[in-house]
Amino acid sequence: MRDHLVLWVNGVRREVRGGDAFLTLSDWLRDRLGLVGTKIMCAEGDCGACTVLVAEPTATGRPRYLPIDSCIRFLFQVDGCHVVTVDGLARDGDLAPVQQAMIDCHGSQCGFCTPGFVMALAGACHARAAGEQLDWRKELAGNLCRCTGYVSIFEAADGAGREADWLATRFADEAWMQEGVRRRRESLAVHGHLDGVAMRATCPASLDEALAARMEPEARVVAGATDLGVLWNKRKLRPRHWLDLSRVSELCGIAVEESTGGSTLLAGPLATWTDMLRVCSERCGEAVAVLESFGGPQIRHVGTLGGNIVNGSPIADSLPLLFVLEATLDLASAAGTRSVPIHSFYKGYKHLDLGGDELLVRVRMPLPGPDSLLRLVKVSRRRDLDISTFTSAILVRRSGDRIERARIAYGGVGPTVVRMHDTEATLAGQPFTEATFRRAGDVAAGEIRPLTDVRGSADYRLELARSVLLKFFHEQTVAVG
Amino acid sequence: MSGPRFQPVADPKAHVPSVGRTIPHDSAVGHVTGAAAYIADVPRRSDELVVGFVPSPLASGAIRSIDLAAARSVPGVVDLVTADDLPAAKVWGPIIQDEPILAASEVLYVGQPVVVIAAETQAALEEARRLVTLDIVPAEPILSIERAIELGRFIGTPRRIARGDASAAIAAAPHRLAGVFHSLGQEHLYLEAQAALAYPGECGQIVVHSSTQGPTETQHVVADVLGLGMHEVVCICKRMGGGFGGKETQGVLPAVMAALVAHRTGRAARIVYVREDDMASTGKRHAYRCAWEVGFDDAGRILGYRVDFHSAGGAAADLSTSIMERSMLHVDNAYWLPHVEIHGRVCRTNIAPATAFRGFGGPQGMAVTENVIQEITTHLRGLGKGVSAVDVQRLNLYGVGERNVTPYGQTIRGNHVPEIVDTLRATCDFDHRLATIEAANTRDSLVLRGLALMPVKFGISFTAKFLNQGNALVNVYTDGTVQVSTGGTEMGQGLNTKIKQLVADEFGLPPAQVVLMPTSTEKNCNTSPTAASAGTDLNGAAAVQACREIKARIAAWVAPRFAGDGLGPAAEHVGFAGGWVFDTRRPETRIPFGELCNGARRERVDLGARAFYATPIAGFDAEQGRGEPFFYYTQGAAAAEVRIDRFTGDLVVTRIDLLIDIGRSINPGVDRGQVIGGFVQGMGWVTGECLVYDERGRLLSDSPTTYKIPAASDVPADFRCDFFPADDNVENVARSKAVGEPPLMHAICVWSAVKHALGCVSPAAARRLCLPATNEEILRALRGPAGPADDGGGWGHSAEMRSWDRAR
Repeated sequence: MRDHLVLWVNGVRREVRGGDAFLTLSDWLRDRLGLVGTKIMCAEGDCGACTVLVAEPTATGRPRYLPIDSCIRFLFQVDGCHVVTVDGLARDGDLAPVQQAMIDCHGSQCGFCTPGFVMALAGACHARAAGEQLDWRKELAGNLCRCTGYVSIFEAADGAGREADWLATRFADEAWMQEGVRRRRESLAVHGHLDGVAMRATCPASLDEALAARMEPEARVVAGATDLGVLWNKRKLRPRHWLDLSRVSELCGIAVEESTGGSTLLAGPLATWTDMLRVCSERCGEAVAVLESFGGPQIRHVGTLGGNIVNGSPIADSLPLLFVLEATLDLASAAGTRSVPIHSFYKGYKHLDLGGDELLVRVRMPLPGPDSLLRLVKVSRRRDLDISTFTSAILVRRSGDRIERARIAYGGVGPTVVRMHDTEATLAGQPFTEATFRRAGDVAAGEIRPLTDVRGSADYRLELARSVLLKFFHEQTVAVG
Repeated sequence: MSGPRFQPVADPKAHVPSVGRTIPHDSAVGHVTGAAAYIADVPRRSDELVVGFVPSPLASGAIRSIDLAAARSVPGVVDLVTADDLPAAKVWGPIIQDEPILAASEVLYVGQPVVVIAAETQAALEEARRLVTLDIVPAEPILSIERAIELGRFIGTPRRIARGDASAAIAAAPHRLAGVFHSLGQEHLYLEAQAALAYPGECGQIVVHSSTQGPTETQHVVADVLGLGMHEVVCICKRMGGGFGGKETQGVLPAVMAALVAHRTGRAARIVYVREDDMASTGKRHAYRCAWEVGFDDAGRILGYRVDFHSAGGAAADLSTSIMERSMLHVDNAYWLPHVEIHGRVCRTNIAPATAFRGFGGPQGMAVTENVIQEITTHLRGLGKGVSAVDVQRLNLYGVGERNVTPYGQTIRGNHVPEIVDTLRATCDFDHRLATIEAANTRDSLVLRGLALMPVKFGISFTAKFLNQGNALVNVYTDGTVQVSTGGTEMGQGLNTKIKQLVADEFGLPPAQVVLMPTSTEKNCNTSPTAASAGTDLNGAAAVQACREIKARIAAWVAPRFAGDGLGPAAEHVGFAGGWVFDTRRPETRIPFGELCNGARRERVDLGARAFYATPIAGFDAEQGRGEPFFYYTQGAAAAEVRIDRFTGDLVVTRIDLLIDIGRSINPGVDRGQVIGGFVQGMGWVTGECLVYDERGRLLSDSPTTYKIPAASDVPADFRCDFFPADDNVENVARSKAVGEPPLMHAICVWSAVKHALGCVSPAAARRLCLPATNEEILRALRGPAGPADDGGGWGHSAEMRSWDRAR
């Protein structure tokens, strides 16, 4: 068990002992290293001003620098990794191409968001395949700018995007990669005091260790920290003990299993949204649009499927899909493993069928067959980087002019995501007509009791509950022509 | 950078002026490397304290007691300050002094600072903040304009601007319409939160570094509150991470809090608002209720027009009366109104004092009229008249040389709006696209489309005449480099870059020879806030004037040295270009600028100058509602196309065409950034940005998670922005025009396009739409209860009503 962190910042090896390990990455960079180029605006992963690049070490190949929000990443989570900040991007006064392009194109005005954009752009240019044209509107969806209206930043991106990958040569990989790989395989147990409070973090390297640590009642499980980091910054959460799963290899991975009954997506709970997007773009195209609006790239690189499921928010974007696919969850404890269907996993608002000693270890998602029509609709105040007002998944199997079977799940209409059983029953066996879907909409509106909150009124949600069904009908009708 | 090592160009005549060229932003290298420092980035002094405040949890109530005992006992807590502890002034205000520094006997809005806390660490500060107990007897908060009107709670006096007899003209008109138009406020969401750093100077003096658009106002209030003379307070601003009007006055309170702590403890003190505090505690753009009545003829020609404005001013006056004035001065937008009557009143409500925001009331004034243009069009079309909104707009535009006097009596010179509208209408293929869109709307079951154009005419100058002044200090050093300091503050708008260009050209130097210094009240006194789009006009003109004074001294000194060979000394023939000072009659007689400066100093020629500029305007008489408030008008037009999901209300802005007259651009790169950035910010106001309060006056949309400004993917995929080639603003600095605010108002056409789309479904749906056109607001308009909703019977924005029901 290692008791301190080892990481690299802008090519320099750092060891961190004690309470600093529990700081957010951004606080540590700014307050301890004096690297104040990284800015804090929202402290909740909603603006990207704090974007830095983080590469996990790999035993083979080149490191992949991913843009992440450093304000909602705990320092212990980047143990063994290389962090590149805006302060370290230029080399001996030579600016990176993205930096020069931002200058030339007037990509900065007040400059406060600029370090975040520079890092997001540097990451995107690094990740893209040779000659690949990127959609900058999507690549930069995780960064807010209030001055420029973004157009000049897109122009800078186009300019810089033609240059060679700066990061490929900016830092020497060998030194940190070799040690990093080893460090990342080690289990970690860090103790220290932060603001006078004793804290610790356990970062097990295997599932057995993780399950053992899970037995400790105070241990708070953390995966991507995209939600817990926000609660931390708002001081709504001050666990004395973190159980960080990020290096448990058994919980990673994503694959599609083929069988005679159809295809099933098997995902480890640590699969990130970036991983999910990669697989779904090949196997479940309908999910792509919703996954692409899942936070911004910075969130998708660290946010996990398991985190979304276990966090249990009634507006979690993945859940309506998982509900209509009738996903099952494998839950493990030191005593053994069990499977539960997702719809019975949620007992009430953030109340789960999950034992205090259990971890989610696998998600099984039967993929829709070619005879099924799947439609996901997310309604939010803004298309990207927004939390849903209302989410829905509609899966219909048609047999000629009739609806053979329908599965419908809504989110944002109650304390949990719900399967709309009465609505489904109203549709089953009925002709595929507007009247059928209109009737189903009336049933749906009666089946839910949504609230009025900051994201929209109850009336709005009730109307959406009706309206998405009509939208489904009309889209299918138009598609058929 | 190049600094003093520059070489003069070979031939002065080959010198390329920098004004008119796109050079990088003054701080661009610092921005992209993270080296440009904001208040939070300044290294900590070893004695520095962390400052924060306890906000009022209630919107209205009487303070019975404040218990600080528990907070005081937290280790690391150094100071706690309440209103009772304020040494001198306890209230402030830029126009009317009615705003408490700290809540004293009553609380006026949720988030109002009640207790200032200073601590050694952030953790101690947070702990103390939690432990302060406020005993407040709640009172009914006034949260709506309607309720304030009912109770007669107003700020300032009623204002009126009128011409002719509007009521009679409306009564006699062939067609009459009336309604109530509602627009909501807007959060600035500058990326850098409110922040200030203060430390004691000598002999009780105070130095404040503030993220502020108004260093003089900050200096003034800090002095007032601490009981110091203004000469004992220095306020410095290097840059802001965005302002947009939100730091014109709202930067004062944080600066005062830091200064109070520095003054009381003798230690450095820094406050950086966390985002939720910033959003909850600081003022925003005003929400407006606009009752309107219009009379018009068969073609849509406006014959008589009345508008009755009420704004939600918040708990204190701030700049609200001045903002209302600008709304009233912009209700005409670019339209000739023969008979018009405009009333304006600011309501006192229990929210944070509403304040300046890019456009300063202009957007609300123009929006109601654009709404009326759409209403007139819908009405006439309902009668079978084949008019489009753009026909109605074109018909009503101010004329060139006739029909060109505003309701307040100012004659419009250099009116390019008709030509701009005609040009844009043609270049964006408006009429053809309109026909295509309206035809598609009758067929498409999924998507509803809309298209609208709008002209914009925005008056440049502060309407308070005295603010139209600027001063600048120019220091030329003996190596030929130049430092410039003005009262203008840099918030990203490129003011410093433009002034650098103006100064570089005056001396014939490359811009790198000129550096803009932090704004400080020590160097520039009695300055106006950097606002009203006038930063470059005022401070740039003053800087140019200072350069000319120095040049005159240099010319007088060097002219005899250039004389000879039959040419007498002639100061008027001394030229500055390419790094040379030369005799324009024979350019080979020349001295490098740096060498000359060194020589001039040795001959005791003063190479520094402070100069002053006052805009030559007559001014506006607010009592009479008449005068000439504006030096000139920035003009333009924009057209927006939108797509709406008929089932969710989801809005996509697909195309923007924008044509704007900003005179001769000093820096096209900077100006284009202002135009596009301002437009997208305005697009946010009219679409997705939505302030939501609960029934007790607490702001629910208090972070970027719940308040959604446009993101990269909201920018129209097809965005065409051009400058109209006008060169007639001869009196302004470098023949340029102000560009900061006008683009924001161009974005109202996005809202109009939504209204046009809804009008294609039913006139009632269009009438119901309030501003902003959020997805919910759009779906409510499409599906809402039947009947027109603008009869004044309690309709309002869906976010204010929190339900789709009509009753408030």
